[in-house]
Amino acid sequence: MAGTYSKPLPQIDEVNRPFWEAARRRELYLQRCKDCRHVWYPAGTNCPKCLSTNFEWTAMSGRGTVWSFIVYHHCWHPGFQKDIPYNVAMIQLEEGPIVITNIVNVPNDSVKVGMPVKVVFEPATEQVTLFKFTPA
Amino acid sequence: MLRDMRDKACIAGLGQTKQGKLPGLSADEIAIWAFKLALEDSGLRKEQIDGLMTQQSYGGAGDTLKIGRELGINPKIGTSVIATGAAGAAMVHYAAMVVNAGMANYVAVVYGTNQATNRNRFATGDPESASPFGMFNPGAFAAMNFRRRMALYGTTERQLGAVAVTQRKHAQMNPIAVLKDPLTIEDYLSSRYVIAPLHVYDFCHITDGGHCVIVTTPERARDLKQPPVIIMGMGRSDALQGLATPDEALMQRIQRQSATMVYEMSGVQPDDIDALYVQDAYTPAVLSALENYGFCREGEAGEFIQAGRIELGGELPVNLNGGQSSETYMVGWGHTADAIRQLRGACGPRQVKGAEIIQCTYSGGLFDHTLSTIFRRP
Repeated sequence: MAGTYSKPLPQIDEVNRPFWEAARRRELYLQRCKDCRHVWYPAGTNCPKCLSTNFEWTAMSGRGTVWSFIVYHHCWHPGFQKDIPYNVAMIQLEEGPIVITNIVNVPNDSVKVGMPVKVVFEPATEQVTLFKFTPA
Repeated sequence: MLRDMRDKACIAGLGQTKQGKLPGLSADEIAIWAFKLALEDSGLRKEQIDGLMTQQSYGGAGDTLKIGRELGINPKIGTSVIATGAAGAAMVHYAAMVVNAGMANYVAVVYGTNQATNRNRFATGDPESASPFGMFNPGAFAAMNFRRRMALYGTTERQLGAVAVTQRKHAQMNPIAVLKDPLTIEDYLSSRYVIAPLHVYDFCHITDGGHCVIVTTPERARDLKQPPVIIMGMGRSDALQGLATPDEALMQRIQRQSATMVYEMSGVQPDDIDALYVQDAYTPAVLSALENYGFCREGEAGEFIQAGRIELGGELPVNLNGGQSSETYMVGWGHTADAIRQLRGACGPRQVKGAEIIQCTYSGGLFDHTLSTIFRRP
């Protein structure tokens, strides 16, 4: 599988590694501030609300709603050629942060802003599992 | 305090190169060409330019040291400002402050790009959070904005089409404009999607070209060749938090803070504006600006732009240059240039009769940096 995956893989570094390790375990983990309880995404080195560096990686509910979504009819990367037209969505998680992802298991014209969705996981390679969303 | 800056700076020179494809010229050569045109326009000599601000462009061009060396000047201030696609407008603001602080007298702000000839496809996306899911091109953010607008306010693709169609009409009257073929709303609606709900005509048309303006004080401009175009007001607000504050960034409501600042400094209100120029990497930017700068209420821009209201002769002519979908994609520079020409009364068939006060609004393609400038005739 690793040899055939042709889409860009996320750049994993020391800061976001716990996020991608959790995804590989099929869990959605974000950072939560232990001082002010703020939850944020993407990963950072401190709480963007109170600037505390006292945070923990915490399991999210995996539930959210579609904040907006778009459908690609033009191919900017050959790895996505056979997927066109494919959707990209912004999901607002129940805990607050917005993530960029794809909505799967539903035709593009059935996706609606405000639609409830839940997380699912799709292994891309042996090392990387992507998080996607599906109608709840 | 803000009002202290009202009418204290002006544009004394404008240089705009040919736009479109300029094969054989580097981006910096194009920037230098624009600088020479602005010098000639202003009547200043090169030796009088004591401030140089360069906008960085595609492929690593726009380096101040290199352009300064090629121009053969050691100015008091030579620098570059980073503010995504709104950097040119930002540097005009800083230049206005610099000439009033007495740190320099004549500041040239320059931009050149050969992004069309060099085939910049704008194919990048954030490598951590976007590219793995196939989100490429800054147009994605404008498409997200418009989809949400459709859901929240019932705005339609047909309504949005009025931006591209109107801008094309304006471009047909603009000798500099690159795209002039007739465009009807039916053409628009039947055109291909690039990133739905946006059609191909909602996207800026990538071009080569260069621009330069020379900023000074109205007193210093008095003896120069051109009537000065006065900067009445400047507004600024930056949505640096991006998707963490989606209403401010994606829906561009951060512009309301820029609006408060620009109207306070200038002392005018939306009703006083004779024409509006909106930096439109993607056409939904026009709808956001109309609402957030107070020309109509939230959610009403789709209706507001119908029936010729934003055309030449309408209540509020918008983007008389043709916008970036038809004139040229110069990250807001074409808009600034055309506002200057309007206030010099030099726009020929697309001249807004009696134009006294013109507002420009700017934002980068990622909806982060947000600026506005209000100009007036001397």
